[in-house]
Amino acid sequence: MSLLSPIICDNGTGYSKVGFAGNSDPSFVFPTAIATRGPASQPSRSGPAVPSKPGHLASKRGVEDLDFFIGDEALANAKTPGYGVSYPIRHGQIDNWDYMERYWEQTIFKYLRAEPEDHYFLLVRDQHCSTGLPDNLSVQTEPPLNPPENREQTAEIFFESFNIQGLYIAVQAVLALAASWSSNRVVDRTLTGTVIDSGDGVTHVIPCAEGYVIGSSIKHIPIAGRDLSQFVLNLMRERGEMVNVPPEDQLKIAGKVKENYTYVCQDIVKEFRKYDAEPYKYFERYDGEHSVTGRKYSVDVGYERFLAPEIFFNPEIYSSDFLTPLPEIVDGVIQGSPIDVRRGLYKNIVLSGGSTMFQHFGQRLKRDLKQIVDRRLEASAVSSGSVQKSSGVDVDVISHKRQRYAVWFGGSLLASLPEFYSSCHTKAQYDEVGPSIVRRYQIFGTAT
Amino acid sequence: MILLEPHNYIIQTTLAEKFTKPSSLDVQFVDFDGVRFHLSTPERKSALLLSMHIRCWDELVRYGAQEVLQREYGPLVQAQPEPEYNVSLVIDLDTAPPEGEERDNFVKSIALLKRNALAAPFELAFTKQKELESAGDGQGELTAIHYRDEEAIYIRAAHDRVTVIFSTVFREETDRIFGKVFLQEFVDARRLPTIQNAPQVLYTNRDPPLEIRHVPGLRDSEDIGYVTFVLFPRHFNNPTVAAGTISHIELFRDYLHYHIKCSKAYMQSRMRHRVAEFQKVLNRAKTEAATSTERKTVTGRTLHTR
Repeated sequence: MSLLSPIICDNGTGYSKVGFAGNSDPSFVFPTAIATRGPASQPSRSGPAVPSKPGHLASKRGVEDLDFFIGDEALANAKTPGYGVSYPIRHGQIDNWDYMERYWEQTIFKYLRAEPEDHYFLLVRDQHCSTGLPDNLSVQTEPPLNPPENREQTAEIFFESFNIQGLYIAVQAVLALAASWSSNRVVDRTLTGTVIDSGDGVTHVIPCAEGYVIGSSIKHIPIAGRDLSQFVLNLMRERGEMVNVPPEDQLKIAGKVKENYTYVCQDIVKEFRKYDAEPYKYFERYDGEHSVTGRKYSVDVGYERFLAPEIFFNPEIYSSDFLTPLPEIVDGVIQGSPIDVRRGLYKNIVLSGGSTMFQHFGQRLKRDLKQIVDRRLEASAVSSGSVQKSSGVDVDVISHKRQRYAVWFGGSLLASLPEFYSSCHTKAQYDEVGPSIVRRYQIFGTAT
Repeated sequence: MILLEPHNYIIQTTLAEKFTKPSSLDVQFVDFDGVRFHLSTPERKSALLLSMHIRCWDELVRYGAQEVLQREYGPLVQAQPEPEYNVSLVIDLDTAPPEGEERDNFVKSIALLKRNALAAPFELAFTKQKELESAGDGQGELTAIHYRDEEAIYIRAAHDRVTVIFSTVFREETDRIFGKVFLQEFVDARRLPTIQNAPQVLYTNRDPPLEIRHVPGLRDSEDIGYVTFVLFPRHFNNPTVAAGTISHIELFRDYLHYHIKCSKAYMQSRMRHRVAEFQKVLNRAKTEAATSTERKTVTGRTLHTR
């Protein structure tokens, strides 16, 4: 039998992306939520339900093991009496293994309709704790994130409950780098680069050298999609646009405006002037309808079109706690990495995640970063008395079409390479070594 | 969700999405039992080509799969399937039924492609049974469908019943034990008064049932089992009941495996809970650290324990 395509599973805190290797988009994107019988608030006070009396009669058996919903169906059933919704992943870490195991069950059998025994799997894990060093030696800036035991438990579930053929646990940042190979501007397939991953909750800047994450210089920025929506909402409220909009829809509309109308400008002052000179040309109109009463309303979309993504570059317009612009953070991250990889990191800055999809985002980042770098080079030339002059540093930011699900797409790309099967941990190896096999991590797919 | 549904979710959701917003597409995905699908738009955005590869296609054609598909999908079926695939459908989004229930049903029927292809031998057996019933005696031909590498479905019609036999192989020791318990339970469950009308189920381990004992090439090993369903005319006289019976029987193996996996997970969650409880007990049992009183020598110097 020809091998069936591997399954790619990216279980995030908010959404899970699952599908088959070789495709350009995940087959399913649904919330990582599960609705089970019983209240969600106290999941294991008394443990899972136990049949009242153990006996041999089939009549005593219930269907507790099958009675649950996942994804959108879970949220739809949230109000059904008797069911409670819970989110098995918190802060990128699996919180409740019972729920997670069931979640995978239904993902595989109900949605993907695959027999796990026939497939290889590629799972995505958080970037932390993935330096080339053995895990207990790795340097971490973060508190204990995703210890290797979690990976072992995952392997246990996949190999022992599902009897899968092979497993590869990949690192988010590396997959995002691999996804950028699809861009026509990338000439060599390298796994060295800086990944800027911005989703809904938090933005990460992750340097990656030849497939290994430099854990000590990862930086996190508390500005991401949710903050952008909030900022758009604030601006529109201040201008009085939101008076016609029902309060429960306001945040949703701010989100829509953010997704459909915003872009990154090169110069705010010019942009303001442009808008003031010809407001009818640049102002957009958003029409909505009240979900309950059906009353129509419309709002004007103005300066927030370019101001919203601006909070990455000038965070002071939004928050007073966090003031470092994104280009400076990126520069800091690269400067904090070993000196011999810095050139590679500057040359290959890759965007990933929904909040990096703004038009011209890459160009602006590239320009600002280039300025910082050039200024530093000039300063060092001056301080050396103009004796030594640098040949310059290449800065390049790569945007591509698949940014939104870049991590998943990278997985799909890697898993369709022929080397994938030899890099996987197979069932036989697992049976030989045990769960600790997943502590080993093998890079593949680079051109070198 | 308690039962697995017979239709393919990916086909259903993708088609529904493309109806509202046609765009170019090229995806490959699978279904149970090694079925591969390819959904693409080779010519224009509004014409979707859905191809299916199923490993027992030759056997299915022999038992009339072409006719069944022709009946279900009519002009959608392509005379020449896409290379590497067994059957292709072309779905033209422009000529498809209008939005609403009609379209939902259309999408659903396409999502049932695999089920319909596999239904052919069952339908054949049901009609055969009708013939034999009027004749009063006799037995139909034994049809074998090798739908997986090591497993097969055998169907035989007789004048008063249709017998369906599944051979099941468990690759994993634990699964085998679970499977055995499950299948025996299955046999027992029928004694319940509420499901008296369910088909009779028999389970044998290792030894093939008499109906198929003469078939050459049966494996004789510990990990193989045979499940026999005996379907009586009441299970397929009425067309809707017959359709339901076929959908359920086709999914039997996948459902069995799904259920085994679910109960493993259930047991593991019980075990995790138990371990957590024991840990609590152990933590309570820790002796309190002896409070160290400072000890001094006569001269007034403190003693340090190293």
